[in-house]
Amino acid sequence: MNLYEYEAKRIFAEAGIPVPPAARITKPEELAKVHFGYPLTLKCQVMAGGRGKAGGIKFAKDLNEGKSLVKDLMALTIKGSKTESLLVEPKMPIARELYLAVTLDRNRGCAIFIASAEGGIEIESSDNVLTEPIPYPYHGFAGRKLAQKLGLKGAVLNKVADIANKLYKVFENKDLDLAEINPLVITTGDDVVALDGKIIVNDDSIARQKSFAGMEESHLSELSVRERRAKMAGLNLVELEGNIGILCNGAGLTMATMDMVKGFGGDPGNFLDAGGGSDQKKTLEALELVNENPNVDVILLNILGGITACDEVAGALVQFMKRHPERKMIVRLRGNNQDIAEKMLSESGLKLYPDLEEAVKAAVEAAKSAGKKPVGAGKS
Amino acid sequence: MILVDKNTKVIVQGATGKMGSAHTKRMIEYGTNIVGGTTPGKGGETIHGKPVFDTVLEAVEKTGATCSCIFVPPYLALDAGMEALDAGIKLLVLITEGMPPQDTAKLVAQVKAKDAKLIGPNCPGIITPGQSLIGILPGSIFKSGPVGMVSKSGTLTYEIALALTESGLGQSTCVGTGGDPIKGLDYKEVLSMFEADPATQVIVMIGEIGGNAEEDAADYIKANIKKPVIGFIAGQTAPPGKRMGHAGAIISGGKGTAESKLESFRSNGVLVAMTPKEVAQQAAEALKQPVKAK
Repeated sequence: MNLYEYEAKRIFAEAGIPVPPAARITKPEELAKVHFGYPLTLKCQVMAGGRGKAGGIKFAKDLNEGKSLVKDLMALTIKGSKTESLLVEPKMPIARELYLAVTLDRNRGCAIFIASAEGGIEIESSDNVLTEPIPYPYHGFAGRKLAQKLGLKGAVLNKVADIANKLYKVFENKDLDLAEINPLVITTGDDVVALDGKIIVNDDSIARQKSFAGMEESHLSELSVRERRAKMAGLNLVELEGNIGILCNGAGLTMATMDMVKGFGGDPGNFLDAGGGSDQKKTLEALELVNENPNVDVILLNILGGITACDEVAGALVQFMKRHPERKMIVRLRGNNQDIAEKMLSESGLKLYPDLEEAVKAAVEAAKSAGKKPVGAGKS
Repeated sequence: MILVDKNTKVIVQGATGKMGSAHTKRMIEYGTNIVGGTTPGKGGETIHGKPVFDTVLEAVEKTGATCSCIFVPPYLALDAGMEALDAGIKLLVLITEGMPPQDTAKLVAQVKAKDAKLIGPNCPGIITPGQSLIGILPGSIFKSGPVGMVSKSGTLTYEIALALTESGLGQSTCVGTGGDPIKGLDYKEVLSMFEADPATQVIVMIGEIGGNAEEDAADYIKANIKKPVIGFIAGQTAPPGKRMGHAGAIISGGKGTAESKLESFRSNGVLVAMTPKEVAQQAAEALKQPVKAK
């Protein structure tokens, strides 16, 4: 779960990391109540990156200019992400900018600092980046070591070391995937301040982090309505452009099935991994989610039952076909309780494909002939 | 075979839970040498005829178990893993999905310190066909033979094992290392074990988008593995920036694409298969060739 900048900075401030004084507003008239003095910085609160380049950060020299900027910025949509509110801060006297982040390194299998003596950059495309493995259990020397490697000295070294230590504590205590300050600025008065903040909360850990309770649904803005519904139902759905709806159990098998569809000349309409051990109810919800995608002409169901029982899937299929008798279905079902499933489905007239390649070929063929029909035909 | 055989003494942590109980039964039916289970507070009871203990330490002292198959809820997995290591367990098979990755990192550090091995989390487990099944794999799909398999995926492993078995090729051992970004055993460690294993003649390595473990493994194969390796990558049609089911399966910042992985396979002498059936065909082909000298 991604947090907005203002939420990240609130968490930083609670942890003792210096952030600029700030007000959050949504209407031009609210600006009159902000008393930081001018010039002011106005920043769109959006989930998307590249906000500065997209015109989402502006400076106001007085109240009049500020009001008209509030109106413009609130109407801004950046990469499909609507402006949620504006964060208003006094403009900082910046002497230097740094980059500082904590994340997990999948290759090393441990937490790392990522830091740079250049701030405000796109870290993926910079050469001037330090990565420092963080020893566990954590001790404060890690922050000092990092600050020195950044070439800092004196009071600034101590301040940056302290911020690095606090940032790690936030990362660990809040179960984050990423805690990032970009830029971390050194002011002309040698204060060190987190000018921008980004936090990604680990999705698997939200349930044990009480401070994030109930926030998940309002922070899924990048997902389609159906993708959001899937997530709340414990299913993994990613929608694509093609007309073959795909439903499998297991992430690897779902991706491999999509790849085979493409390989045999078809176009996948979605990725839907129903996960292991899905029962009838969950499978039915998964089928409905695929079915509701208007691009989808054919549904390819590929289940290889390990912990998923084929009879549960068959039960969902029988119900689904009663609701949507015209829907073209290609079904491949193998594994646990396969014989019971076959019996349940034998009355429905549905052909079962034991072989995956045969099923994929059949789905591609069916999708091609569906594509030739006049617009509106063949869709339930 | 690697890591487990018919003599491996296995306990199940969380044996009386719904998942734990169902799979304990299936493992016993398969022939796995299950010597007991643990559930705190249920010591003295039995599950499917095996003794239940309150702690792993007691289970190890009374049964001599060296391996633990862990079925506990995600937020208890770190504690369970630490308990197993403390009791002297040397192989942990952690099935649990949804373990917080920072917990996994802490467990991985302790696994290294104790010179133990961890398979998982979020994995199907390990099987040496005909001898020992530890985890949730469907035993009937596998049969004993010369192919060593290592994979990040569960059901895709079953699909490819099925294709191998149906074409007459059995497996020495199949290891499902799991779909999480932070985990225990990786490709390289398993590949080196297969290289040293006389029962393994050809290796199948199944990967997916996200991270660069496959690229790393390909470099390792070129330098260290003489046995033929067949590579398969899932997610060639996955869009960038979207998490494809597994926590680790995401193309981010242009990194972790299927093309990059396939390219590094090809340039390091790993044979590439595009469908499960092709994996079986390539494996059959490779078995006919004499082992190359490096």
